[in-house]
Amino acid sequence: MPNVNEILVSAADLRKSYGEHEAVRGVDFEIRRGEAFGFLGANGAGKSTTMRMIGCVSQPTAGTLTVFGRDPHTEGAAIRARLGVVPQDNTLDGMLTVFENLVVYAGYFGIKKKAARERAAELLEFVQLTARAKDQVSDLSGGMQRRLAIARSLINDPELVILDEPTTGLDPQARHLVWERLFQLKHRGVSILLTTHYMDEAEQLCDRLVVMDEGRIIASGSPRELIDTHVTKEVVELRFGTAHTRELAALAQSLDGVGAQIEPLPDRILVYTDDADDTNAALDARDIRPTSVLARRATLEDVFLRLTGRALVEDEA
Amino acid sequence: MSATTAAVDRTAPGTTAGAWRAFNLQLALFRHVWHGTVFTSVLLPILYMVSIGIGVGAYIDSASVGGLTYAEFIAPGLICSVAVMMLGNDMVFPVFGGYADWGGHYLAQRATPLRPVDMLNGHLAYAVVFRPFTNCTIVAVVLAFFGVYASWWAALAVAAAALVSAAMAPWMHCWASSIKNDANLNMIFRFAVMPISLFSGVFFPASEMPAFLQPLVWASPLWHGTELARAATAGVAPVLPPPVHIAYLVLLAVTGWFAARRVIERRLNF
Repeated sequence: MPNVNEILVSAADLRKSYGEHEAVRGVDFEIRRGEAFGFLGANGAGKSTTMRMIGCVSQPTAGTLTVFGRDPHTEGAAIRARLGVVPQDNTLDGMLTVFENLVVYAGYFGIKKKAARERAAELLEFVQLTARAKDQVSDLSGGMQRRLAIARSLINDPELVILDEPTTGLDPQARHLVWERLFQLKHRGVSILLTTHYMDEAEQLCDRLVVMDEGRIIASGSPRELIDTHVTKEVVELRFGTAHTRELAALAQSLDGVGAQIEPLPDRILVYTDDADDTNAALDARDIRPTSVLARRATLEDVFLRLTGRALVEDEA
Repeated sequence: MSATTAAVDRTAPGTTAGAWRAFNLQLALFRHVWHGTVFTSVLLPILYMVSIGIGVGAYIDSASVGGLTYAEFIAPGLICSVAVMMLGNDMVFPVFGGYADWGGHYLAQRATPLRPVDMLNGHLAYAVVFRPFTNCTIVAVVLAFFGVYASWWAALAVAAAALVSAAMAPWMHCWASSIKNDANLNMIFRFAVMPISLFSGVFFPASEMPAFLQPLVWASPLWHGTELARAATAGVAPVLPPPVHIAYLVLLAVTGWFAARRVIERRLNF
């Protein structure tokens, strides 16, 4: 049985700068064996940079980082031998067939030809691409290429799989298929580290999450903890016809007090509240008539928007 | 899924193992394109020998090419030229594309135990060892049918071709690793491969070139390689003692390797 308390990745005051630009500004986190750990954040928040440091392809500028208890600076190759990586760009070889991509990649890990072929066949089965084994990668759809990249990341039976936005750019069907495979992996006890924009899926898959913003971790915990800590039980979504960013920001002013917090987004206003009925009654009392009202339970997306949402609105404006 | 767990190497590979693993990618790619090399290795030398070696050769006085027939004169240079031509295929786009966001093999390898130096060595092993010793050997065998060799020492012409590759390949790797815009890729053909192929004493003695171009001739790896190869195929003494020609090519190869290692390590540290 794997030791679930074993720490696979440990970062303390980890930093990375590119010239003047500080992409990661001192982050601390620990990832334990067997857990699914998520990095959430807007584009440019520093997620991918952090992933690259953990993947031992980018040297931290300052702070400490250990992966499997080792130092990526001096033992990068040995660490990478135990990692599986699904990069944002698949980096599959379009000239090679699906099967060859896996066998050649297995070779990078010193896996012998016969074992590589067996393992490639197993993994193609796992990602449901067996029928396409002999096709060239360039003939596959985006979703299939993604699944192949996931299969490839598992070729060395990694102790930790790093997935950088595994479902970005995929159509909904392809996305569900990828997430379903990730759930399978999790059930098999594979430790997973991922970045994503899809909060609902992260909420279901991840045991623990951190939210990054401008190179810092601004919140961390289990999805439930994050929701309990940062948002109310319920959320009421208000839309006002075609009203957009600035009009909504102005409207939001008039909503003061109808909920615990008001968050104007580019297309709607979110009212965080512990009781949606009370909020609806308050809206009626003030004679505020949105074109649509949707009451729902708070999700991780609300946490994300509440913690980083203001920045998005400013970007739009 | 754990059936093959035991077969996975959990340690960092040594230098040789690293290069071998990276080399295997090139070999897998070669299996998809080998038929294209039939043209460069078989048809091209035949065309050259028939059109230039025999055709043009009929007009050439053998005294002007060191007492050899013209076919004998150009054969060793052709073997080395094929090596240079292949570098144009193997060391330009495949290197540039290795860093490309949409599918670069160097980026893929970077996530594995392979280090940048392994990727460089693996790619060079393909371009400098595998390609010359397969394709240039075929060229040399094809040319044998034209009766252009003085002895079995001619086999060493392939080694000379490999030396030319070794001297040029790492520098081409540097170049292709350094540029960011693929529109500049062709510059290496216009300003390096093409002039080197024309002005290296392959088709006429380099001493016939104007004096101001002589330094370029002496700088050209292909000229040094052709001199060595001609010594092997025709038994004529090269312009410089063979160890000097060899030393120059080795010097280029070694300095080029250090430069290429530096460039690829920088390029792949994010």
